[in-house]
Amino acid sequence: MEENSGASESDASPTDPSDPDHFLSREPVGARPVVVGPSGPCSFPADRTRTEATSRRLGRSQLFCLGLILTGLVTLAPESFALAEGAGLDYVRSSGKLRYGSDMEGGGPYAYPDPKSPREVTGFEVELMAMLAKDLGAAPEFCQGQWEMLLQLLDLGQSDIVVNGYEWTPPRARAYLATRPYYVYQLQLMVPRGSSIHTWDDLKQPRPGGGRWTVGVLAGSAADTFTALEGGKNVRAIQFSGSTDAMTAVQNGQYDATLQDVPAARFYLDRFPGLELAGPPESHGYYVIYTRANDRALRDALDQGLARLIARGDLRRLYEKYGIWSEAQRELEKLTGPPEVISGRQAEGGWTLVSRYWSSLVEAACVTIALSLCSMPLAMLLGLVIAIGRIYGPIPVRAVLTGYVELIRGTPLMLQLFVLFYLLKLNPWVAGIGGLAINYSAYEAEIYRAGLQAIPEGQMEAALALGMSRWMALRRVLIPQAVRIVIPPVTNDFIALFKDTSVCSVITLIELTKEYSILANGTGGAIEFALAASFLYMMMSLPLSWFSRWSERRLGTLGVKGGAVA
Amino acid sequence: MSMIEVNDLVKWHGSIEVLKGVNLSVRRGEVATIIGPSGSGKSTLLRCLNGLETFQGGSVTIDGLRVGAHDGAAERARVQRQVCLRVGMVFQSFNLFPHRTVLQNVIEGPVYVLGIHPEQAAQRARRLLARVGMSERLDALPRQLSGGQQQRVAIARALAMEPQVILFDEPTSALDPRMTTEVLAVMTDLAGDGLTMVVVTHAMHFARRVSQTVHVFGEGRIIESGPPDQIFEAPSQEATRTLLSEVLAA
Repeated sequence: MEENSGASESDASPTDPSDPDHFLSREPVGARPVVVGPSGPCSFPADRTRTEATSRRLGRSQLFCLGLILTGLVTLAPESFALAEGAGLDYVRSSGKLRYGSDMEGGGPYAYPDPKSPREVTGFEVELMAMLAKDLGAAPEFCQGQWEMLLQLLDLGQSDIVVNGYEWTPPRARAYLATRPYYVYQLQLMVPRGSSIHTWDDLKQPRPGGGRWTVGVLAGSAADTFTALEGGKNVRAIQFSGSTDAMTAVQNGQYDATLQDVPAARFYLDRFPGLELAGPPESHGYYVIYTRANDRALRDALDQGLARLIARGDLRRLYEKYGIWSEAQRELEKLTGPPEVISGRQAEGGWTLVSRYWSSLVEAACVTIALSLCSMPLAMLLGLVIAIGRIYGPIPVRAVLTGYVELIRGTPLMLQLFVLFYLLKLNPWVAGIGGLAINYSAYEAEIYRAGLQAIPEGQMEAALALGMSRWMALRRVLIPQAVRIVIPPVTNDFIALFKDTSVCSVITLIELTKEYSILANGTGGAIEFALAASFLYMMMSLPLSWFSRWSERRLGTLGVKGGAVA
Repeated sequence: MSMIEVNDLVKWHGSIEVLKGVNLSVRRGEVATIIGPSGSGKSTLLRCLNGLETFQGGSVTIDGLRVGAHDGAAERARVQRQVCLRVGMVFQSFNLFPHRTVLQNVIEGPVYVLGIHPEQAAQRARRLLARVGMSERLDALPRQLSGGQQQRVAIARALAMEPQVILFDEPTSALDPRMTTEVLAVMTDLAGDGLTMVVVTHAMHFARRVSQTVHVFGEGRIIESGPPDQIFEAPSQEATRTLLSEVLAA
């Protein structure tokens, strides 16, 4: 589900817990229920992993735009889009369908592709919806959506409810109607087998060997928030974009522990034999079903349905089947409605939120800039070496380099990052910058090759006839001319790379797109955050465009046509 | 003593034998022209002299430096570099460096290959450019010049390396008659200087008036060699007569 994520290492003790605003200022953003990362090598057959990663890469670049467009549409043209009062229940009754928004990329045990029949979706929420739909006299209809976008899709009427490990939070409760909880989630610490960590409290002790304990969490999730608030000064949170990604990294020994929602921890435990549960579950929160704010009748019908399932023990049997029942679930009987929105607190306006989180956005923008500025020069240099090798090198070198270019161009950046980070276990910055540089070097190499081959052969001959070596001829004569030809395509690639840095969120580098989606999803200021993030992107890309135009003007005045008439 | 000795030079382009055992000798200070029909291999011969082409048989000796067809690659490359420093070349298509000004084109080799100080190289370059009549356009880019002007700059560029030999590969073929005249005037001027010149050309005039020896080339070998008067007045070979009649008719 998380498609982009980024990752960054955030300080685990950023705020003063005594601040009364503290909890709200760091509202849990989502108990990310989900999560399967493409790294979920354990969760899917390899071929699925590949296609998934590919689709993610496409999805990622579109996510940000989609967010902008959707929030823009919904906010700017409320009249035309607002669905009629009670439209949800009417639709369920008239069509006989209960359409629920969910994301099967999120992973087990919520909603995930059925291993027995991969075209079908299964999971405890899927079965729960089947039961609730039956109760309403309708058939369940699974509406696949990007996890972060499910509420926006709900606004657009693409689904009538959202159920996908969405926890109850005050901002969401203000904008949507929540049902009574259908699950009490807790957070479970997972550590490598034989670890010296046995409970959450062990993390409060200084880490032997120095440094701070590193705890992998899903970026923006309840675990992320909990770690920030409760971790203390000895803990550093590492933000992942998928739950299984964090488990993989911890199993690899790259980090000390990971904090997960209990259902995900239990579901995946047997697929990560190198991990074990440490201590009793911590914290506690509620998964609820959301409807549009004016669909009170549908919400009430769902509440009644849940009440019957709980009373009959159906819910307990379902959770036992998935191995996620716990004593904490007994609380469900008592929670007959959604938790109350804390009174006395006004809903905060979007711009207030933006100003509060502005520094996080700027910090994420700096990650974007750092990744781009470090990786592009490397990619250009590497690309040049490859291009020269392919044109002038001995035949075995040419063959190897051709293979390199085809391999790198033919595989997704995300997979390359996974290899560097999870297999080679490189530091995230090294993997991110290196991965981008390697990926783009293949493209740059082809651009340079085209540029060098566009230079008339007479130029090399004239240089050699002056007594230059081939290398000096390249450096003094061919490359300076080729540079003028390749400025536009290389600029193009730079801009593409600039946006592709968002893929690095899968290896814990949280950059601007990921930060936007965490904040927009978690705080309810979607449109304001989208505008703020767009503003930052513009501020970053304008200088790039200016630089490119300047260099074209400056270098472009010297054409390559002059010398070689023949 | 000869400046250039070519012995039994054989060159294959894939399955085509371009040079079929060429023998050629050019004395120090001599101006030799090579004439012959297009596509007969004249340019290829010239390019073998300074290492732009490799060859499969025979050898080329320039100023005592011998490159043989069967030398090892490393040895050949080493000698070739030294040969390049003694041999300049002027191309049919000028091949000036389009991103550099006239002056920069001329000092490029001296500064970066010979390691001469840029100031000193520029001084020499100005003298050479004055000699070829290009003093006025030192800061022009090649594309701002006419073909004749570009070729004169190219000659200055070759001279700047102070070569023992300059090879001219159809230096006027891309030029109109007026520009041809100005370039030939510069070459005639150089010929009086004791520079060894090998000129592949269709400009019979120049061959006849300026060169000391004319080599008639055809079908991958030299058909006939001799002083211009003998070649133009009393050729011994039928092929030479045919060639000359075609050229004079044109």
